[in-house]
Amino acid sequence: MFSSGSKYLLGISGLSLVAAIVYAFTVNPSDLGVIAILGLMVAAGLLVGIGLKNNDGDAATIEEAVAAATEAPRDSAWPAVFALGLALTAVGLATVPVVFLLGIVALVAGGAEWLITNWADRASVDRRYNNDVVRVKTIGPLEYPVAAAVVLGVVAYLFSRVMLTVSKETAPIVFIAVGTVVLVIGFLAGTRPSFRGKPLVASISVVVLALVVAGVTTGIQGERAELAEASAGDFYDASHRECGAEESEHFDHHAGNTVNLRASVLATVFVKDGKAYAELIGMPKPTDTITIARSNAVNILFRNLDEKEYRMVMHLGEAKVGTTGTVEKVETCTQLAGKNQEQLLTVTIPKPSAAFKDGYSIEVPGAEGVIKVMVP
Amino acid sequence: MNRVNEHTSEEKMETNPTPKNRRGRRAYVALAAGAGLFLTGCASNAPQDIFQPKGPNANDINNLQKLVFPIAGVVGVIVLGLATYIFLKFKDRGQPIPAQAHGKPIVEITLTVIPALILTVCGVFTFRTIFDLAKTSDTQMVINVTGQQWWWEYDYPAQEEFGIKTPIITSGQLVLPVGTKVLLRETSRDVIHSYWIPALNGKKDAVPGRINLLRLEADKPGIYAGQCTEFCGLSHANMRMEAVALSKEDFAKWVANQQAAYTKPAAGTLAAEGETVFLNQCVRCHQVNGQKKADGTAVIAAPDENVYAGAAPNLSHLMSRNTFAGAMFDLLSKSCRDDVWKAKPEEFGAKYLKGVTSECLNESQLRAWLRNAPAQKPMYADPTKLMPTNGKYRGMPALGLTETDIDKLVAYLLTLK
Repeated sequence: MFSSGSKYLLGISGLSLVAAIVYAFTVNPSDLGVIAILGLMVAAGLLVGIGLKNNDGDAATIEEAVAAATEAPRDSAWPAVFALGLALTAVGLATVPVVFLLGIVALVAGGAEWLITNWADRASVDRRYNNDVVRVKTIGPLEYPVAAAVVLGVVAYLFSRVMLTVSKETAPIVFIAVGTVVLVIGFLAGTRPSFRGKPLVASISVVVLALVVAGVTTGIQGERAELAEASAGDFYDASHRECGAEESEHFDHHAGNTVNLRASVLATVFVKDGKAYAELIGMPKPTDTITIARSNAVNILFRNLDEKEYRMVMHLGEAKVGTTGTVEKVETCTQLAGKNQEQLLTVTIPKPSAAFKDGYSIEVPGAEGVIKVMVP
Repeated sequence: MNRVNEHTSEEKMETNPTPKNRRGRRAYVALAAGAGLFLTGCASNAPQDIFQPKGPNANDINNLQKLVFPIAGVVGVIVLGLATYIFLKFKDRGQPIPAQAHGKPIVEITLTVIPALILTVCGVFTFRTIFDLAKTSDTQMVINVTGQQWWWEYDYPAQEEFGIKTPIITSGQLVLPVGTKVLLRETSRDVIHSYWIPALNGKKDAVPGRINLLRLEADKPGIYAGQCTEFCGLSHANMRMEAVALSKEDFAKWVANQQAAYTKPAAGTLAAEGETVFLNQCVRCHQVNGQKKADGTAVIAAPDENVYAGAAPNLSHLMSRNTFAGAMFDLLSKSCRDDVWKAKPEEFGAKYLKGVTSECLNESQLRAWLRNAPAQKPMYADPTKLMPTNGKYRGMPALGLTETDIDKLVAYLLTLK
């Protein structure tokens, strides 16, 4: 039942199990070594299964085996992929991690494909059987899903480049157009048997080619201006510079209407009749002081009840900037909110109010009233 | 010969009890354990007894259980009794299987309607209690409560009607005025904790990023004990709290004391030397409001740089509290503590407000804590195991203070009245 190769692999698998048990008892059951040895056991067991399934690729007779062994393997691109992987790994070690990672992927994929193809080519003198049965049965279950994932990943990446480059107005049109094309091709393939041959392949090729061209072109062109500027301006930096009463060219483009968060709001800041005030849970009267515990993330909701657009600005003391040691004021703010619109600020204040001469405060530029923020 | 044999056989019986004897012994052990458990209910010194409410919120819960527990008990006895009867009566003794009947509408309807009615009655009272306990519109005072491993911080937002002009921060003991509807706004800095003062209300989780509300109100002056009820790490069992209820007049005095300016120890005293030790060692995590540097700027502690939760207990007016280390240890010696805990309600305020004097200080415990805190309370303070927290401590590490430093520190801490 067991062929020669399977017996060796079975032996490795069994010994690995023994080694894992001994290691676990003598060193530490939760040690990484145990996992590694068990991994070897599973891998060897897997190879036993593959070996048994294909009878170790053994030929039926000695003559066949000799003939198959003396037959030169088919031409293959996998050695080149493997070599590319080696080169990328070496370059990646000296340059950037992404290249190293790509090299490792090419090494593993190229090496595995090369080994399996070569091994399958020597299974018998029947090359078609070697390829379609031995090779495909062995690596097919892994090859197809990986190839599908890679293709989907490339398509998603290229499409995302297009969507990040075109304007916000054009993006929905592109999305609808692409969706329509996919739907039409799918409809034709499903309803017209005559479409399922070369016309289908040709259509998909055209779409893929168009996607590649569009993706590469837009990728080189870069993201649309507002996204690029937002990234450059450190969009999530607490010390955002666009906290004035005036509308920010980019920052204010994303304002929403309401905030679906109620259970975790420490205080709500309102603007009504041009005056800013705060309300706290459980405190019936409006207040001009909010107390926040030190080093704890809290949510402060801003709700504008006036016609005019306002934003809430939180002054968070001062901080040294860059390597020069220049001290600058730290502030963070919401986007502009229209009538009955809400915005939320989440802040963590690590130092007590006493750390800064002016303490902390909240204001709404253009509205009266300053709300004192006390951090005891 | 027979005698010998009989004797041997009796001995055998003693050393190797039969299954029947074993079952009998186990039954005795179970009975003794059950009786012991039952008798714990008679303990008079049980500060966390849920059946002795000391405020209207806990009283609501107690009233509910007075209704639900007897009903549940009667139902339980009936169900268990019937089940036992059926098990014994219809035990398989080889008798023929009786005729099988499928359903009996009268029985099924009755057995559906009765539980439904019982649940409806319980449900009405339960929902009413839930809504009563969740009410916030009648709040008179707000206190922010923040849990972290393994202590509670209390900060009182400015509330002019109670004389709180600037926020007050304290830990270990929650001080509240008697007869006042206090709303706790609970949250956590690290993991989930749960706040529970059984004599004043049920428990409420303190969850990072959320604010959960809990009503508290005490009828009489006194100290009410509680502890964290959500497993929160190594010292969860040591994360305790005490709610101190003071009369309104006494609470006003407490507020005034908490807002009093910092008093620097007189130059040349042991306490002044202790302040220097504090500024060199303790201020890395512990804030004492009002301390000033030589240039006149405020001394700001940096727990955000050294502690995983980002905070350590603020030690301003430390000696106005009765506990330290997350209320695990008493600052008062046993006799002084008993004097406060057992004081009559009308005398309690004056005794509590005396704070910790040098005569009443539980000095041995405080010194042991300063000498090696992790030896007193289990904490993740081993420097070799701080990798998952970027080198930040969970709890107080051993500072390696000398006995002389400890003398100075104790003298200084005693001045923080």
